[in-house]
Amino acid sequence: MQKQPIIQIKNLKKQIGKTTIIHGISLDLYPGEVFGFLGPNGAGKTTTIRMMVGLMNITEGEVLINGYSVEKNFEKAIAYVGGIIENPEMYKYLTGYDNLIHYSRMIPKIKIERIEEIVKLVGLEKRIHEKVKTYSLGMRQRLGLAQALLHSPSVLILDEPTNGLDPAGIREIRTYIRKLAVEENITVFVSSHLLSEMQLMCDRIGIIHHGKLISVETVKNMLEDNQHLSVNFTVSPLKEALSYVKKTNPKIKAEIIDHRLIIYTSEDQITTFAKLFVNNGFSLTGIHGEQKSLEEKFIQITGGDLHV
Amino acid sequence: MFNMFRLVQNENMKIYKRLGTWIMIGLILMIVIFAGGITKYLLAENVNLNWEEQVQIENAQLLEQIEEYENMPMVGSSAIQPLKEDVMINNYRLENDIPPVENETLWGFMLSSPDFTALASVFVIVISAGIVATEFSTGTIKLLLIRPVKRSKILISKYIATLIFAIIMLLTIFVSSLIVGSMLFGFDGINLPYLVYSGGEVIERNMLVQIITFYGLNSIDMIMMVTFAFMISSVFRSSSLAIGLSLFLMFTGQQLVMVLSDYNWAKYILFANTNLYQYVAGTPIIEGMTLAFSIIILSVYFFLFILISWFTFNKRDVAA
Ligand SMILES: Nc1ncnc2c1ncn2[C@@H]1O[C@H](COP(=O)(O)OP(=O)(O)OP(=O)(O)O)[C@@H](O)[C@H]1O
Ligand SMILES: [Mg+2]
Repeated sequence: MQKQPIIQIKNLKKQIGKTTIIHGISLDLYPGEVFGFLGPNGAGKTTTIRMMVGLMNITEGEVLINGYSVEKNFEKAIAYVGGIIENPEMYKYLTGYDNLIHYSRMIPKIKIERIEEIVKLVGLEKRIHEKVKTYSLGMRQRLGLAQALLHSPSVLILDEPTNGLDPAGIREIRTYIRKLAVEENITVFVSSHLLSEMQLMCDRIGIIHHGKLISVETVKNMLEDNQHLSVNFTVSPLKEALSYVKKTNPKIKAEIIDHRLIIYTSEDQITTFAKLFVNNGFSLTGIHGEQKSLEEKFIQITGGDLHV
Repeated sequence: MFNMFRLVQNENMKIYKRLGTWIMIGLILMIVIFAGGITKYLLAENVNLNWEEQVQIENAQLLEQIEEYENMPMVGSSAIQPLKEDVMINNYRLENDIPPVENETLWGFMLSSPDFTALASVFVIVISAGIVATEFSTGTIKLLLIRPVKRSKILISKYIATLIFAIIMLLTIFVSSLIVGSMLFGFDGINLPYLVYSGGEVIERNMLVQIITFYGLNSIDMIMMVTFAFMISSVFRSSSLAIGLSLFLMFTGQQLVMVLSDYNWAKYILFANTNLYQYVAGTPIIEGMTLAFSIIILSVYFFLFILISWFTFNKRDVAA
């Protein structure tokens, strides 16, 4: 990615009272990519997003959008952004159309035709002149998208856009997000706590846990990466085997579970380890490999210590 | 500036596309019509005396009271002065053949109409209390603040929209009173002046100008309470708290000052100063207060309210 980043997050921190909620997140987003911001409940997704759009004060660090600081140059920076923060809360007693008129008045130099265009784009033509309180959640979500796209932003920031939608609705949003990224070169920053959903629409996924960004990887790499194979060696003596493995391969992740030595490695390494044990006098009585799904990896990273 | 115009347009849309707003305006109209009917059909006095005789009786009563007061050492001259002024005005009427304004005339009704602004204040407070707070309680604030517009501009547009609503309420009362008054009472006595005592003599004032002045004085009180509600609404982000607190203070503030009127510092309380009538007719609630003093105190409170609203709205996290 040699392109200029459209969003730069630099060592972003948030402290409320004495607790630090976000511990220094750094991240660059590029034009046309769909970035998944994945984390369990309470990880700090919404807090990070609120700081990115200027709803919350930044304790430390900065967010630049197209080079403009959200903190110091808010109006310029936010002009590139469209967003839905949590639920798409609209004025329920106004019609969908009035809601869009409302937001359009806050954008300099917008043409009235753009409203018609966007209504068609999200497929709300039939109901746009009805009050929002009569809308279903799916329709509200679409109206939410319409207000976010009204000013043709370069970045779309969506906080759990599929929350509460049925499978068809989720799929629709997903297709839509991909389309925006591919056809309009819009950068989409989308948060979720479901990996399965992210995997299908994102180019890259960043995992946030306890306010820290603990991994950023392309979905392609994640899928190809066979580091996720966990191999069970039934070997003895167990403890000596573990320390031997760690000594010879300092980078490898290995642990003892249920009287077995688990080594997280790739397929082609299984023989190497088997040879290592046999050649060094350990007794090896069984090998069992297991491919981990991304979901498991995610849970392994985040779920194991949810209570911490 | 163009930008600000569109922001105010937005706020107006959010006010006037709500049914509740129109119910408020409807209630004001009904109250005015109702009051007109009561005045005409229930309160009409059938007195046989002509106005000269009535004024003379009133003067005799006033003089009696003045004498009574003068024999009581506790009653200060400030209590007696207004009575003396009334006597002088009455004498002026007799000398110049200017009858007093009757309740059942257009001017009489119009002179009482500024009283309806108390009700209008309640409604304007409701709007003011909600204009910031409901954006928070419904979560719409999140979409409102992620636009290329400074937060302070949004706040200003909301304040302007609230003031516009206040003006609309005052105009509703004024115009409907004028229409109801002229339909029910006709135009008898339309040329009568309003008599005031000023600088040692009685002077004639244009009636309409005087009525508008009364509306103006009442609206000061209204604007202070509305601004107070606006501040509470921005600080606590709760419209019910803002409505409750503002109405409570509006109705008890004067009494509070009354209770504390022995203490000199009570004159710095907002409510000691909101009623500017005290300088037009009657005596100040606390000795030694002047119109200039009240105007300064009111301005200080006003800017304090605005500053606090502005500061909290601009600086605080939006976590709704
Ligand atoms: N205003 C606040 N004051 C104190 N703590 C807060 C505040 N807002 C959020 N938090 C805490 O910060 C952490 C992160 O919250 P946040 O809402 O960002 O999580 P999230 O990743 O969006 O979770 P979810 O998936 O449930 O939406 C939580 O532990 C939460 O309790
Ligand atoms: Mg969240």
